Formats: sequence, structure tokens, C-alpha cells
Amino acid sequence: MPEPVKSSWADEVDEESNRGPLPAGTEVVENGFKVVTEYKFNDDNKKVKIVRTYKIEKRTVSKTIATRKTWPKFGASKDDKPGPDPATTIVSEDVYMHFLSAKEEENMKMEEDALEKLKANPEKGAVKCRTCNGEHWTSKCPYKGSDALAKINSEKKPIGTPGAMDKAAAPASKYIPPSLREGANKRGESMNTRRDDTLAIRISNLSESVVESDLEELVKTFGPISKIFLAKDKATGNCKGFAYVHFRYRQDASAAIVGLNGHGYDHLILNVDWSKSQPVQN
Amino acid sequence: MKPLMLQGHERAITQIKYNRDGDLLFSSAKDNAPNVWFSLNGERLGSYLGHQGVVWCLDVNWETTRFLTGAGDNSMRLWDVSNGKEIGKVTTGSSVRTCAFSYSANTAVMSTDKQMKFNCEIYIIDVRNADASLEHQDPIMRIPVDGPKVTSILWGPLDETVISGHENGKITMWDLKMGKEVHSVMDHSGSINDLQFSKDGTQFISASKDCTAKLFDTDTLELLKTYKTERPVNSAALSPIMDHVVLGGGQEAMEVTTTSTRVGKFDARFFHLVFEEEFGRVKGHFGPINSLAFHPDGKSYASGGEDGFTRVHTFDPSYYEYQFDF
Repeated sequence: MPEPVKSSWADEVDEESNRGPLPAGTEVVENGFKVVTEYKFNDDNKKVKIVRTYKIEKRTVSKTIATRKTWPKFGASKDDKPGPDPATTIVSEDVYMHFLSAKEEENMKMEEDALEKLKANPEKGAVKCRTCNGEHWTSKCPYKGSDALAKINSEKKPIGTPGAMDKAAAPASKYIPPSLREGANKRGESMNTRRDDTLAIRISNLSESVVESDLEELVKTFGPISKIFLAKDKATGNCKGFAYVHFRYRQDASAAIVGLNGHGYDHLILNVDWSKSQPVQN
Repeated sequence: MKPLMLQGHERAITQIKYNRDGDLLFSSAKDNAPNVWFSLNGERLGSYLGHQGVVWCLDVNWETTRFLTGAGDNSMRLWDVSNGKEIGKVTTGSSVRTCAFSYSANTAVMSTDKQMKFNCEIYIIDVRNADASLEHQDPIMRIPVDGPKVTSILWGPLDETVISGHENGKITMWDLKMGKEVHSVMDHSGSINDLQFSKDGTQFISASKDCTAKLFDTDTLELLKTYKTERPVNSAALSPIMDHVVLGGGQEAMEVTTTSTRVGKFDARFFHLVFEEEFGRVKGHFGPINSLAFHPDGKSYASGGEDGFTRVHTFDPSYYEYQFDF
């Protein structure tokens, strides 16, 4: 769209960032898509342009449902425009149903919580008795309140194998965050669990007709998958030609690279490699 | 699947329910305004303004003309679904914990909490010609409940009985002609958080704080199946088209902040109805799931959580292709 020429680019920037009336939003409906453009000021008082694309679908429903669809909005939604209000309706990130099979249940057990591990196996370090320095909880100490304790203290020699004891006692003197303790996963946790991109592979040169289930069929023989991302054209829904697959285990990912690189699929030769950069977020 | 997140409540969701056609989804939360949404695109149709406290329960009638809510402001209100106007209300001595329309929607049942020297009571109310005068009318029947309070309720077949789940895990069937208890079973050891019917109403599933959900026969209250988890179950729903059960729960709300989301196990868990074995999980909520509902066509389900969000999930093709290996 041609715009009138401003005297100076500086004025233009100034005007755009702060003052100046907001351009009116537009709503364009064409070939099954509704594109809503909206302008507003963000928290930093900068002008932002928001473009939302909606797909328009027609469905045949019973009369009662159709009638309900025409009801005017009321209550807190009284002033909302037709269509979902982005303030109350959000399309969230893709989630998958995680199917459990006997094999995966075993894996899950392996990944069990660090605390569980400790509980099940209290003899394995990290726990130290304050009374006798033995490898058990203080409350479970066999010498609790007995004369034998004095004897032990005088000897100053911990029970159990001396070698293992030294190892366990040394780190116990210092505070260790739970995430770094024995048996915990060293990555730590955050609210939005980060994916490990080192386990991701990139598959390119896919044909247009590939869908997620095809891809899953193709890669699932190599091992458990945590995420599949197939790049799709927003408007047509066709595959854009590449996909990222996150495996649960590294050896499965490398097996998939070896197995699939150069593999013919749908009249095209696949190109499979580690995903070096961060895959596109959708 | 890309779930729709419905963000219309400021506090934890208490109950969600689809209407019979499945085009509308009702949600209530610990804030005072229940909402109604279009289930297909997540658009909010409106909210029902009037309550002054936690809305504990809701129900919608067969024809989707009336909407019932029970709240912590000691009232049960009846609304016009289409415009959010209040038709009538019933005030009680203590909070209204459960409410439900009978199948015919001629009558409704509600139960109150044992609170502030008021006893737990089940009310049967005529709602056929409800208007503003509902407040001054006497209920058809008031059944005092001795002992543990009612935490969930269902209407039995032909609107002749009421099935209530209690705080101590007891499930009781009440005959409304006689106005008294006819049968009760004690298969749960913790509070019954939710009761939901199967599609044909011959079975129902209970969700309990004792970390299990159980399937019962509606007529005899015979225990048929048990679904075990390691966390309290807040809600359970039966799929109308598959032999699947979905369970939602998590730990107590008061322990949420001290547990990480990874350990929290806030997933919706899918069990096979017959084999009682878990076969799938869906992540998403960052608090325990408080209420679950299957769409009447079985192709999607919704969950409402302690995090205040309602999530509407439409199943992927892989869900229908999944074969349970036994």
C-alpha cells in the first residue's frame, strides 16, 4: 500500500512509535479464510500490528444447534464480536496422547523420580545417620539411645565398608540442590519443560502429501518418539517438505538417520540428518 | 491434537458439562460466574452473572433451555440458557454442593453441605413452572442426610431414584416415592468426587479421593470394575463410543505449589473399560484436573483444572486406530 511521503524518517519513527492515530483494523474474507488485522499499542507504548488468520468452516447441524449459534452473546461476553475472542479462547500447543505399552512402562520405571530411588534403596549413599554416621536415616539408627553409641563415638570409626563411606560422607557435608543429587536428572526443571534438541532429527525432501500419521509410521520402528513436528502450509494444510522428529533415546535417533537417509519414500529420496538448529516453533 | 484453551475463569474450575447435543460446554469455577462456550471453536457465548460465591455444581436440561447452578452463597439458581437471565432461585441454610436436573427436567435435585449447624439435606424441587416465586415455594421433598455429607449426585432411571456419593465413600440410592434410603454400598474409602453415567445410563463411574475410580451397575449398585491410580481421582468419564474411561486428578490443591509439574501427574489418563489397564495419557494442565467430560459424540473431550483453564481436546486419528493389545 503506497503511503504519503513524510518529511523525515525520524518524524516517521517518532510518530509511529508514540503518537498518531491507530489505523482502523480490517477484516478480509477470501477463499475460506478470514484475515483480521488489528492495530494497538503494546505495554511499551509502541504500535503493533496483529494479524490473525481464521479458517472458515461450514457444517451441517441440527436446527436446534443452528438456532443456538445465532443467539446473541450475554453476560461477560456481551460486547464480544462474533467469532472466538482471543482473550478467552486460545489455541494451545500441540499435545499428543502418549500411548503406554508394556515396553514403555519399563522405560518409565527407569526414569522414576530420584526420591523414589532413594526410598527404595536407602543403603546407597546420600543418607547419613547423625548419631552413628551409618548409611541410614537417623530415626532408623539401631544404636538410638543405646550404650553402644558411646563406644562407636570413641572409636570414631564408621560402620560399613570404609571406602564407600568416605565417598558418601564427603559430599554430604555440603548442600547439594535436589536437581544435582544422585539419581536426579541433572538438567533441572522449569515450568515449561525444555526439549532436548540433541535428540531431534530433521527429515527433508518429503513429498507434499505426507501427513503426520505417515511420518509416525515411518519413524516409529526405530524407537519411542517424544514429538513429531511436520511443517505444513497454513492455508492448504499440505506438507512443506520437511519435518522434525524428537526421539526419546539418542541411539534410536542415530539409527533412524542411518536407516532413513537416502531412503526412497513417495517417489522422493529422503534426506535425514541431526537437526542442528532449533526447529521452527509452531 | 491442538486443544482449545478456554480462559474465562479467574479461579479453579469446579465442574464442566456438555449439553445433550454437545454444541455447548458449560463451566463453573470457584469464581462466581459460570460460563457457556461453543465447544466447536471455543467461542464464549456468555456468562451467568448473579452468584456471590463459589459455584460448586451445574447442570443443563435435556433441551438446553435451562441451566442450574449451586453455589457457596447458599443458593441454587435456575437460568435461561439463551440469554443468561435468572429465572428463579432457591436459598438454603448452607452451601449447595450438588445439583442435577432429572431426565425429564420436571424436577431437580440438590444437596446442601453440613455447615454452620445446618444438616446435609437433599432437596427435590419442582422446576416445571419456575419463576421468581420459586424462592418462596416449598420443595417437593427434603431428605435429611445423617452422617457424611453428599459430595456428588445422579438421578436414577425413570427419575424414580437418586444416587448420591458421600464424603466417606458411601454410595446410596434413595427412593423418591418413599423418601428414604433403599440401598447403599461402601466400596470406596475416600470422598466420592464425581459420579457420571455411561451413555445408556445402565452403569455409572465414581471418582474418589481413595485414588480409584469404580464402575457400578445403576440398578444394583454392584461394583463391576476398578481403575487404580496413585493420586486422588477428581473426575472420571466414560466414552460414549469406545470402551474407554478417562480419569483426571492429581494431588490435593494445597500441595500443588510444593510439587513440580513433572512429578505432579496432572495428565488425563485413559483406561480400558474392561481390562482396567491404562493405555494412554494426555498432558496439558499445570494443576490437578477437577472435572472431565466426554463430548456426546465421543470424538472430543474437555477437562477443567485447578489452574482455571478448560481444555477442549479433539482426538487425533491415532486414537481411533489404537488397538489395545491383550
